[in-house]
Amino acid sequence: MQGKVEYLHSTPRSFLPMRAFPELRLIPDVGIEGDRYATQSGFYSDRPEPGRQVTLFEVETLEALSRDHNIALDASEHRRNITTRDIALNHLVGVAFRVGDVLLEGTRLATPCRHIEQITGQEIFTVLMHRCGLHARIVQGGTIRVGDMVERI
Amino acid sequence: MLKYHHHVTAVVTDMRQETARVRSYELRDPDNWELPPFGAGAHVDIRLENGIIRQYSLCSDPGDRNFYRIAVQAEAEGRGGSLAVQDQLRPGAKVALSLPRNHFPLHVEAARHILVAGGIGITPFISMMEQLDQQNTEYILHYCGRDPASMAFHDLLLQPHRRGKVYFHYSETDQPNLLDLSQLAASAQSGDHLYCCGPGALIDAFLSATCALPPDTVHYEKFGGAAASGEGDIAFSVELASSGRTIDVGTHETILEALRRENVEVDASCEAGVCAACKTRYLSGTVIHRDLLLKGDDQKEFLIPCVSRCAGDKLVLDL
Repeated sequence: MQGKVEYLHSTPRSFLPMRAFPELRLIPDVGIEGDRYATQSGFYSDRPEPGRQVTLFEVETLEALSRDHNIALDASEHRRNITTRDIALNHLVGVAFRVGDVLLEGTRLATPCRHIEQITGQEIFTVLMHRCGLHARIVQGGTIRVGDMVERI
Repeated sequence: MLKYHHHVTAVVTDMRQETARVRSYELRDPDNWELPPFGAGAHVDIRLENGIIRQYSLCSDPGDRNFYRIAVQAEAEGRGGSLAVQDQLRPGAKVALSLPRNHFPLHVEAARHILVAGGIGITPFISMMEQLDQQNTEYILHYCGRDPASMAFHDLLLQPHRRGKVYFHYSETDQPNLLDLSQLAASAQSGDHLYCCGPGALIDAFLSATCALPPDTVHYEKFGGAAASGEGDIAFSVELASSGRTIDVGTHETILEALRRENVEVDASCEAGVCAACKTRYLSGTVIHRDLLLKGDDQKEFLIPCVSRCAGDKLVLDL
């Protein structure tokens, strides 16, 4: 199973818009350089989990929201860092996988939250149930880029 | 202890004394990151370290996300909030904001917008006019105040491109020229939308004068914005059984938010009534259950404070 990175996003503080980047630097056991969850500035930073250093989201979910629910949600709005294509993220819980040269371990599924509805102003909580992305731990760091392969090991 | 990561964090990058009582503040992200979007007419809550929360309309261009501007009028006779805000918002100061909320939006279907401002009630109209100017949409502003020196943004409103659109009404000059609201309402044309923001007396007079117009074309906001009607929710209070402490829950605030504001730690996750992380026992009061998970007997004992409310004045929580 091989997917690829469609978009990369990060933001330095809670509530701020996510900005698209061509590449991001991942620091093992810390997070993404400059991202809110690497600097304890995220909305959920007071409930730290070692397995929540980087987050992933399927672009297919955005396409399904548009197709099935007429909801336009941009890749900058789901607030996960890595938007992927062609890889089933729900299958990567407890699994090691590579994004480019970086090694990640899927730790648990992300759950929808009210926070994202507040920020987007859209009622998306229910439609994101069971497809709200994946949390992962950074095992081996490095730089990831748009277009990188995502591959289960 | 104020948790900045539960707020939009900004710093004061500029302060201007607009009138003897009104100061305007420019607020930016500490790294100049773009701020969350807002619509014309929106406001933010400002939360101070001492727990004071006040609402201020954003009076900058909604199209420019690099900064927000607010204007604060010192109210010596008020509850002390505006004075505390003016005291603490110094250049370089860090500020905790809510996301912008808009209870006073422009109605895009209008052919023409008629704006009536009283005193510091000018603030939401500044952002509206920026948008209307850019869209080349027709509008007229009537700005009422005591005299030119007491009215914020007077100079801004005299800019050449606003000539013929802005009318000043003074009550305490040598030749007062008060706004005739009855005449204003009588001259309204089909397709006009009318908006008013200012002190209660002006809003009462505005609503009285416009009562014959279609209700969906008449809009108003009292100072602060949060007083605008919400979804029918009423304010109430919660008492913490362990200490007897009482915490007020506002109309636009959840029990969870009120507890957090007062630094009462409650675990929470989804904040949408689904996950039960914040499930809390209550001892008395009538709960409006709005969660998606509590059933029958559970509802008699527990509530989900991220969504549920009170049907009466008070709930006693087992906290």
